[in-house]
Amino acid sequence: MTLAQAGYKVALIEAGSSISPAKDFHHRLPYQLEFRGMGQPGLLRKHFRGSTEYNYRIMIDDRENPYTTAVDKPFSWSRSRVLGGRTLHWARASDRMSDFEFKAASRDGYGEDWPISYKDVAPYYDRVERFIGVSGAAADLPQFPDGSFLPAMPLNCAETIFKAACGKLGIPVTPRRVAQLTRTLNGRPPCHYCGNCINGCDVNAMFNTVGTTLPPALKTGNVTVLCDSVVSHVLMNEENRASGVRYIERFSQKSFEVSARVVILAGSSLENTRLLLLSQNGGLANSSGVLGHYLMDQVGGAGVTGYLPPLRGSAIRNDDGKAGGLQIPNFNNIGKSRAAKFIRGYGMSASGGAGMFPAFAPSLPGFGSDYKKQVKALYPAYARVWMSGGEMLAQKENFVELDPVVRDKWGIPALKIHCTHSDNDRAVYADFFDRAQEIFHAAKGEITSAKPLMGVPGGLIHEVGTCRMGDDPTKSVLNSFCQTHDVKNLYVFGGGCFVTTGDKHPTLTMMALTARGCDHLIDAVRRSEI
Amino acid sequence: MTRRDANWLIAKAGASVAGQAFLSSWLASAHEMNEGAPAEPDRWINYKPQFFSPEEFAILDRFTTLLIPTDETPGAREAHVAQFIDFIVFSSREYSPETQVEWRKAMDWLRTRHFDEQLMGKMSEPEHEGHHVFQTMKQLAVYGFYTSRIGLIENLEYKGVSYYTSFPACTHPEHRNV
Repeated sequence: MTLAQAGYKVALIEAGSSISPAKDFHHRLPYQLEFRGMGQPGLLRKHFRGSTEYNYRIMIDDRENPYTTAVDKPFSWSRSRVLGGRTLHWARASDRMSDFEFKAASRDGYGEDWPISYKDVAPYYDRVERFIGVSGAAADLPQFPDGSFLPAMPLNCAETIFKAACGKLGIPVTPRRVAQLTRTLNGRPPCHYCGNCINGCDVNAMFNTVGTTLPPALKTGNVTVLCDSVVSHVLMNEENRASGVRYIERFSQKSFEVSARVVILAGSSLENTRLLLLSQNGGLANSSGVLGHYLMDQVGGAGVTGYLPPLRGSAIRNDDGKAGGLQIPNFNNIGKSRAAKFIRGYGMSASGGAGMFPAFAPSLPGFGSDYKKQVKALYPAYARVWMSGGEMLAQKENFVELDPVVRDKWGIPALKIHCTHSDNDRAVYADFFDRAQEIFHAAKGEITSAKPLMGVPGGLIHEVGTCRMGDDPTKSVLNSFCQTHDVKNLYVFGGGCFVTTGDKHPTLTMMALTARGCDHLIDAVRRSEI
Repeated sequence: MTRRDANWLIAKAGASVAGQAFLSSWLASAHEMNEGAPAEPDRWINYKPQFFSPEEFAILDRFTTLLIPTDETPGAREAHVAQFIDFIVFSSREYSPETQVEWRKAMDWLRTRHFDEQLMGKMSEPEHEGHHVFQTMKQLAVYGFYTSRIGLIENLEYKGVSYYTSFPACTHPEHRNV
């Protein structure tokens, strides 16, 4: 959008199909679906990772787009190939990272600092928030910087109880900050609280690129959208400049070339890195040798679940409607307090009430009328505290490479992913479990879940790194504007540039860094540097 | 509740005086629920089991109606839970054949032990040798019931997936102090 509005001709090349939220997304209850939301038994688990019957048609089919891992190192890579990609069904949480994250290495000695600090990104966070619309409230916490918010969504009963419990423990909380409108913004209507968000918003009240950034870009007349076009590699010329890309038409398998003055990769963290690896032997823009390395996801897993007794048997309300909750920002290793067992930190979320499916019902003992009545009584009292994202340390040994054998449907080599958790990652998760129990107990809640299992890497769908930014070209692929050190007219936008995961949801930072990178690009072109 | 379901219930409940009183109070209460929720597609009324034999299907039907009986509110029978389970297990043939093996074993186990209400009680105890069969069947039956319109909208009174102008804030002072 920024580039098109600045007058540049943009070819937007998308591997998946086109989509129209108004036409393709609508409210659906489980009984309106053939398999009630689970999909044909086994199909989604085996081939459409992380998806549901509601949205799997816009997710990736692993049979067409395989990736590989070592047998004992599972990595869950949940992908979407459609115009708008994962913005169509993301969780919408939009937090700003802080200098506790950008400059973490200087504080605790592990790894590298980012080449930027909060003050470099803050104006771009402002710009992005004002445009996409983030509802939230100021919390006045240095580790959880405030932004330009639309009014926050109110807390429901369970969240109010958890807020009181956290207050008792001295833990600050705030309504979850979400890219979901609470009033009309830039022609988009406010949220209608259907709770259908991750199955696609029919009115674009939640941010997605198709309904938010693409329309103003198309309005300039400067953008050509090419869907069903699978990019296979970046083309280079003899002057070490990117001259365009080659793509394969998805259905005909025919190959085409597009030439360009500047090439931007923005196809998700790992797809971008895959393209760089595919574009030159040993990887394009890889003089540092770190391309593909320092892969991270955030730490997470199952949460702590149970009941809040005051809500037992209460009137059913639309608790499911905002699909958000209460945010409990990280409080570890902040200021003078130092967690002894681990470095860095994690964020938590809490919510409860009448969700769609009574998740507790299958394991609630018994049967018959009593059982049925108990399910009904507990339905509005169900509650959970979960990890919204814990920092996973950047380790060089976690990396991606091209699989020597496996190729996708278009003959393009697939990625092989190597990723495991560190002891610190495990310590972070263990601490979350203790704290979540404490919060539950302070709320006088009854915990019914077993000790939760830490998820496999990739499970949070916050995969970042493998194309890290830095000031030193011998230790990083990109500079702080997401421009490759080696090829001046090649930019890589998305999560690949992350130096650390931090404990915030990553998307808002990706958007802010993209806006910042676009400004840099426009400036560089004007000054004829690229 | 579909028109066909209503007809079926009226035919059944109307057979007795007590049944008639029950039915009228039940239908009145239905009006207070999420009436805007769309109807359930009419796919079960003439459904013929595709995986289970008639004998197995009778056991399955008995199990689901014991699990979630029809009482003051409709239960597994009205929600066609047994039919739903048959459809899911049948549809497992392609990507989850192990599910079919598991259910056939479960049915063999129940059939050889002449499944009845008494066995249901025993199986529901965690120490019982048939508890894993009970849990396997319960899991899918519970899923089938609470994802049906009868289970989700009429029984649980789920309010989501609709259009609202605001999100309901907590208005209880007692929830602000714990």
